Amino acid sequence: MSDTEIVERLKGDLGARALEIANPDRRRIFLKVAPADLVAAVTLLRDRYDCAFLSTISGLDAGEAFEVLYHFASPVTTIHVRTATPRSDPRLPSICAVIPGAVLYEREIQEMFGIVVDGIPDGRRLNLPDDWPDGVFPMRKDWKHVRPEEVIPGGKP
Amino acid sequence: MAALRTILYLLVYPGVLFLFAYSTFCEWFDRKAYARLQNRMGPTHTGKFGLLQPIADFVKLLAKEDVVPAAADKGLFAVLPAIALAVVSTAGLLLPVWNFDLARPTWTSFPGDIIVILYLLSLPTLILFLAAWSSTNLFSTIGGARVLTMLFGYEVPLFLAVLSPAILADSWRLAEIAAFYQARPAYLLFNLLGFLVALVAVQAKLERTPFDIPHAETEIVGGTFTEYSGKKLALFRLAFDIELVVASGLLAAVFLGGFPGGAVVGFAHFAVKTLFIVFLLSLLRALTSRIRVDQVVSFSWKVLAPLAVLQLLAAILLKGFLP
Amino acid sequence: MSFEIPIGPQHPALKEPISLRMTVEGEVITNADIRLGYNHRGIEKVAEEKNWTQNIYLAERICGICSHSHATCYVQGVEKLMELQPPRRGLYIRYLVSELERVHSHLLWLGVAGHEAGFDSFFMYVWRDREIVMDLLEMITGNRVHYAINAIGGVRRDLDAGQKAKVLEGVATLKKRSEYYLNLGGTEPSFVARIAGVGRLSRELAIALCATGPTARASGVARDVRKEDPYAVYDELDFEICTADTCDVLGRVVVRIKELLESYKMIEQMVRNLPAGDIACKAPRKAKPGEVVSRYEAPRGENIHYIRANGTDRPERLKVRAPTLGNYPATVEMLKKGFIADIPLIFAAIDPCICCAERAVALIDARGGETAVVRMSDLRRQAIARHLNAPVKGNAAWPL
Repeated sequence: MSDTEIVERLKGDLGARALEIANPDRRRIFLKVAPADLVAAVTLLRDRYDCAFLSTISGLDAGEAFEVLYHFASPVTTIHVRTATPRSDPRLPSICAVIPGAVLYEREIQEMFGIVVDGIPDGRRLNLPDDWPDGVFPMRKDWKHVRPEEVIPGGKP
Repeated sequence: MAALRTILYLLVYPGVLFLFAYSTFCEWFDRKAYARLQNRMGPTHTGKFGLLQPIADFVKLLAKEDVVPAAADKGLFAVLPAIALAVVSTAGLLLPVWNFDLARPTWTSFPGDIIVILYLLSLPTLILFLAAWSSTNLFSTIGGARVLTMLFGYEVPLFLAVLSPAILADSWRLAEIAAFYQARPAYLLFNLLGFLVALVAVQAKLERTPFDIPHAETEIVGGTFTEYSGKKLALFRLAFDIELVVASGLLAAVFLGGFPGGAVVGFAHFAVKTLFIVFLLSLLRALTSRIRVDQVVSFSWKVLAPLAVLQLLAAILLKGFLP
Repeated sequence: MSFEIPIGPQHPALKEPISLRMTVEGEVITNADIRLGYNHRGIEKVAEEKNWTQNIYLAERICGICSHSHATCYVQGVEKLMELQPPRRGLYIRYLVSELERVHSHLLWLGVAGHEAGFDSFFMYVWRDREIVMDLLEMITGNRVHYAINAIGGVRRDLDAGQKAKVLEGVATLKKRSEYYLNLGGTEPSFVARIAGVGRLSRELAIALCATGPTARASGVARDVRKEDPYAVYDELDFEICTADTCDVLGRVVVRIKELLESYKMIEQMVRNLPAGDIACKAPRKAKPGEVVSRYEAPRGENIHYIRANGTDRPERLKVRAPTLGNYPATVEMLKKGFIADIPLIFAAIDPCICCAERAVALIDARGGETAVVRMSDLRRQAIARHLNAPVKGNAAWPL
């Protein structure tokens, strides 16, 4: 099945829910949906397009909104599902019920961008240290790293 | 004079000093053989051919900081390495290489000494378990449980295998068993199966690959030795080196015809035969990968124990038929 | 009795820090939990502040073993963003290094697997043979670990006839040795007893948990980016996807050794058919606004970089997903119901690469308590001084 056929099928299956479909390169299909339609779209991709393999989830701080991309791969193509959530109230539904392997990526998105993932089976921190302050999300553009002063236990004051 | 002789006997030859020197030499031999089998060099720098490396390691460990865990049973924790060393050194005194006078049994060579030496060789395992338990570390505890689990596996085959030559020779004294086979070397062939079983069981007793389960570093860090450091660890390591010598000496005495020819020639026999057994053990170590503790137990009871029983039956039957 | 044992962050079975918490009952694992972050260096954040060229070297430092994988994945994405077409000779050399890196990584893993199983002889033999491929990589690129051969638009070093002959020679030796290891790893009874049936991951679970690379292929999922999404030269090469359907650690060993044999095949093809011409083309300093997804089959599985450009000389976003992260959910499943003795084997079987090393060396004087960033020249001066004062040692020749 070629990319153009998949794009046509996606248009037919998703209808108005597909906000945007692009095919900029061979085996690269970018599909945009609203957060509310995300789980339905992912289920459809898994069941009808053989896209059960989630490579990763990338987040991006685009100013007013956070863009999130779900990178899926099937044996013939890759489909990248894009969705956006406003910075003032960043919320996304969890897709773990459909793709159980997504949990680590959702945890990463949650701690790095502060996007609340509704219904995540395991919402603990993944990468950040336990004493990391709440409400600070390092991958947001407004966060800048300041090297903290080193305190050596038992060292000179 | 007799007192001086006894003191020399205990401290110099074949006591602590000799056992220390010979066991470090055996460790060097084992390490070198193991390294060469693995395409490596082994120790080269310390002393000629790296001969002093085990002694250097021992001295280095003696000089290291000695840490005792706060939650440990301090008395037990500290005294166990010394007991282990004492027990295996005592077992070393019972080898027939320095007790070749058949007519006069002494306090180191008497009817039943084979039982005593087996008993003394079992004690370090229990000491190891106590050491693991008293250090209260999680990894040590698991290691200690594994020590005991393994003990139930290999101990019975080892006893059965070692006792069957004794039954054939009709004696419970190591020197007499050795003398019996020296007179009839062909009879040694009957015990070949028992020798193989005992070899594997000794490997398990010494906790070397494939049976290094209680201190499998990739699984449970140091296992039983996790909390041991400095002098205590040095003593434990020395105790295991001596146990290697004593166990291979025991196998040589029982299965390889002992050490005939008086003090000097007998000693040459002792050196050659123990090194041969140490080499076999190194070979086994290099050729296998570590197995799981449940596999040890099932292997011991499904393979080793039946073979040992077979050997025992053969010995009993042969005793009826042979002159 | 049920208790929790900590494997890591520091543990002899782990070469890099990660925390595995095992709830065990006797020797049986009832639950497992993974905590990451002991090595988080914020590379994605740093990448937003570096320009396109600097980021090649940053990407290379994501991993110490598959360093070329990350650099190549990044570079092939940036080339697409800049609409560059690197010369074919350059591409062939780049992916030749890729395959050599796969060989070195798989041999390294094979040795580690032997060590984790307590089979140290296997470990020593494999690592000795690994030196052959390390020497080849050093000969081609000048480095043993961080090859730094990638440039945007090609590679930085060419290959001459003598080097080609040496590569072919080394690969012929390795091929013979790998066939021996395939035989040994599949037949040595105590080794097979340790790895057969351990760490089962069924095909369905491998798909559901998005396992990748040899982990998935050992469960019968025939997925390989080089076949599915052939980048650069891979559609011109003749190779097979290696799979196994035993779904256990034994399968993962077999898959990796078979992949070694496929890699030797590809290396020979690439060296024999190396096209003539330039090795690199000139790259612009800036990239037009746009986005690209770059996929690459690293030794451990699919490596994916998502790169977004905003028209400047720096990326707007560089998202990196290393294959190991994708395999963690599967690992947790594999560990459950296993034995304590299987933990290092199962965990090592995904070939975890937890990523290491910081970028600037900040040393703290233990006595004075002063923090100082030490320059490379200082380190070098100290190293030379130390070397000159070192006691003379006998030559390490085998004397017997």
